[in-house]
Amino acid sequence: MLNDIFNILLPQVIIGIFIVLLLVLEIICSPKMYKYARFIALIGISSAILFLSTVQTEPQYFGMCNSLMSDSYTLLFDFVILICGFLVTLLSRKLIKSIKGSAYSYFAILLTAIFGAMSVVSSNDFLTLFVSTEVLGFSTYFLIASAKGYKSKEASFKYLIMSAISTGVFLFGVSYLYGITGSINFNEIYKFISENDVSVIYSISAILIIFGIASKLAVLPFANWVIDVYKGCESSVLAFLSTIPKLAVFGILCRLLVFPLRNSFELTFVVAIAALITALWANTFALRENNVKVILACSTSANSSYVMLAACLVSVYNVSAVIFYIICYVFMNIGAFAFLNIVDEKQYLKVEDFRGFFHSNQGLAGAYAVSILALAGIPITSGFVAKIYLFSAIASSGLLFVPFLIILLILTVLALFYYLKILLPLFDDIDKNAEIPKLSPVFSQKFVLISAVIVILLVGVFSEKIIELCRFAAYNI
Amino acid sequence: MDKFLSIPFLVFLPMVVSIILISPLFTSNEVMIRRFVKGFCSFHFLYAVILLCFFDSANPYLSEIHFLGMDWIQALGIKFAFKLDSVSIILSVLTSFIFMLAAIASKFNIRKNQKFYYSMLLLLMSAILGIFSSNDMFLFFLFWELEMIPAYFLIGSKFLQNSTVEQETEAKNSAVKFILYTFFGSMFMLLGILLLHFYNFASSGVLSASFADISDISIPYGIQITIAVCLLIGFGVKLPIVPLHTWLPDAHTNAVTPVSMVLAGILLKTGGYGIYKFNYLTLPNSFKVIAPVLAVFAIINIIYIAFVTYAQTDIKRIVAYSSISNMGLVLLGLCAINKIGLSASIFHMVSHGLVSCGLFMIVGIVYLRFKERNINILQGIANKLPRLYGFAVLIVLASIGVPLFAPFISEILTIIGTLNSEFSVVLKYSAIFALPLLILSSCYMLKFLHRGFFGADMDGFDKVNDISIHEFIVLAAILAGLLIFGLYPNSIIGLLG
Repeated sequence: MLNDIFNILLPQVIIGIFIVLLLVLEIICSPKMYKYARFIALIGISSAILFLSTVQTEPQYFGMCNSLMSDSYTLLFDFVILICGFLVTLLSRKLIKSIKGSAYSYFAILLTAIFGAMSVVSSNDFLTLFVSTEVLGFSTYFLIASAKGYKSKEASFKYLIMSAISTGVFLFGVSYLYGITGSINFNEIYKFISENDVSVIYSISAILIIFGIASKLAVLPFANWVIDVYKGCESSVLAFLSTIPKLAVFGILCRLLVFPLRNSFELTFVVAIAALITALWANTFALRENNVKVILACSTSANSSYVMLAACLVSVYNVSAVIFYIICYVFMNIGAFAFLNIVDEKQYLKVEDFRGFFHSNQGLAGAYAVSILALAGIPITSGFVAKIYLFSAIASSGLLFVPFLIILLILTVLALFYYLKILLPLFDDIDKNAEIPKLSPVFSQKFVLISAVIVILLVGVFSEKIIELCRFAAYNI
Repeated sequence: MDKFLSIPFLVFLPMVVSIILISPLFTSNEVMIRRFVKGFCSFHFLYAVILLCFFDSANPYLSEIHFLGMDWIQALGIKFAFKLDSVSIILSVLTSFIFMLAAIASKFNIRKNQKFYYSMLLLLMSAILGIFSSNDMFLFFLFWELEMIPAYFLIGSKFLQNSTVEQETEAKNSAVKFILYTFFGSMFMLLGILLLHFYNFASSGVLSASFADISDISIPYGIQITIAVCLLIGFGVKLPIVPLHTWLPDAHTNAVTPVSMVLAGILLKTGGYGIYKFNYLTLPNSFKVIAPVLAVFAIINIIYIAFVTYAQTDIKRIVAYSSISNMGLVLLGLCAINKIGLSASIFHMVSHGLVSCGLFMIVGIVYLRFKERNINILQGIANKLPRLYGFAVLIVLASIGVPLFAPFISEILTIIGTLNSEFSVVLKYSAIFALPLLILSSCYMLKFLHRGFFGADMDGFDKVNDISIHEFIVLAAILAGLLIFGLYPNSIIGLLG
């Protein structure tokens, strides 16, 4: 047991220690000292990143009675999750200013979510997976509800209800799978299904499991929470919501599709169709929307569905494309939400509110434009390379999926339309009096925005190293 | 000499200069910026001409860039590889030339946001040169997509001093229309490229996106046709081929004069070049099947659009629509699938590039002075602007294919090439249908000349200046080009072999 902790669990343990520390400090410290909470959380996350080097990955390591595992694939995901956690923590400055007293518990919950996300990626049986998704899910409800006002509470409640239903679906699928194979361990299930023929019940259980877990990705059938929740959320929480749960769920989704749920042809088809319908729904819904956050919510849902489609056509190549896309994607999203964090969200909600923004704040608007153009997949940004890589993975999966690809490509054109709808008002010419005043973001906000933009542009040009890393991780899954 | 003459220098120098221009460190003195850009464009043109002088069609220029010793995306075999063969070097020199003219012509047309305008213009130049010189499918696609951003801003932004709100909204809408059409086409193109890449890998085992490594020999026949059609939708938006053409008149009409010159002069040619590079060279088997169908589309382009052009009343729209009609001729030349047809097609790209550039310049000059583009209102320009009248007559004559000028050669060559085509009867007949272009184009072009330049003087324009030295240089350079290629067509045809 102790051996396992030192071999694979050290980063999680560090995060756990800091959670306890934060909770203790909340009792001790006065509300005036709320500022230190953020630094403690940052220290916790950075030390966890340092301790990632102690994780044993060669060969695959199974610990805690085979319920947890680590390899270079989980290590990569843990690393990106921690980096995102770091950036989200930096962005939280504005939020904790408004909730002063509960700043410590806010960061404790954020770290718990990161803890949950890391456990989701490295889980090796369905029980661990269930527990860690619930850890991630419950901390997400609190994070959504943390902002003042009833809107955030409403959003949190909606998310809670939808997650509860999807968890039920997930557990139902797991119970079927347990009934067929007699085990909840991924390795044993994989062994069972590769030695025995499986019935249609296996496929049904696989579909239920995938749909249950994919509710966090805002893929249909559990997708309609995304718009309400995004409307009611603070941008720093959105930066969390659109990155860390995504990374965690895609991390485990690829493993599930490669090992225990491999042998189901129906699953591939049903998931592909669900992904396609999600993409259709999200992209067309965003066309007539006017609220920036809602458009970004639809874009989240649409992007998840593209990745989902590539993920369900299982191959090493596809898995590497999925990893690469999701890594590129989280940085674009963090860039966009960092911008929304800098501008006053209460005042600027609709697309028209940003008219003429470029003329008073050129640097900010430029950075935002890079993030949005990357989401649309325009060259020199990482979005372009990621889209090409992902679509080439889908194209090479066989002729059967070319019609799917055609629809996706047409939807990408629609997507460009609504991304331009967000972006173009920024460059409008307006009167001098109506101009938006020059904003002066603090260091941490600037840091997040600039680092996101640098990552987007660097990966867009020098993508080879990252792709190689993703391929390496995908081979070792 | 070999070290000095490099393609990346040719392609990326405008991009670097554009970044320098937009950076806050660069002077914001408008006269300085204008002179700097003019100087830079002239230097670039000179450089392109030197490249052309040292060009040897047996050894095309090749070049590759490695990042940190690695290819761009090794996992997909995508390289940063460039190649200038005889076709692409002709088009690159034309690009450089037309951008130089556009930079000179910008003096009277651009009164606002000069820094931004010139920066975007040079970025567009870089992207177009990249399209012509890339030797890798994905690199081609990258530049193809990249070109949308500066083109959007050039069409949609406000550069005139006193434009009305309606004009601005219209310009914005047409820019969005342009970008959505192009993106729609390029998504099909991406699909075609991805399929071609994958099936080439599956059949030959070489993971590469370089044009040299792609061959359609062992790709299943149905797939070949699918790929070719996907690619053609992408290029058909840019060229444009008829059902996909509606973005063009709006974009060209609402853009300022130098931008229209660039759009008609060179941007449309990227579509023709794409068809040549992908369908003609890389997928010859499927092109043989598609060519007769495409020839029918080309004829529709030529004849249908010629009638549409005749019905227009806005002179800028007349010129814009006439470009579509002329592009049909480029397409027809390619469809002939023989040496004559190909060289006619490339020759027509060059000659039409010059002609449309000149026509847009004339329209721009008229609009600057009379603030009017309606052909029913304009009259008597010849008395007011005699020098412009001289140029207008010559360039209009060139555009309708009068001997001595370059378009005459290309139109005749296209028809000869199509008649000699061996692949299909359709093509031989289509040559007969292409001939009316010569008559129809003279109808709408002479209408433009006749209504606008002759007749009684317009009221209220007593003190109108004739063309200035800048405008004179642009028109004279275009006319010189048309005459040189008209009298000595071998300068291009010889290079093409």
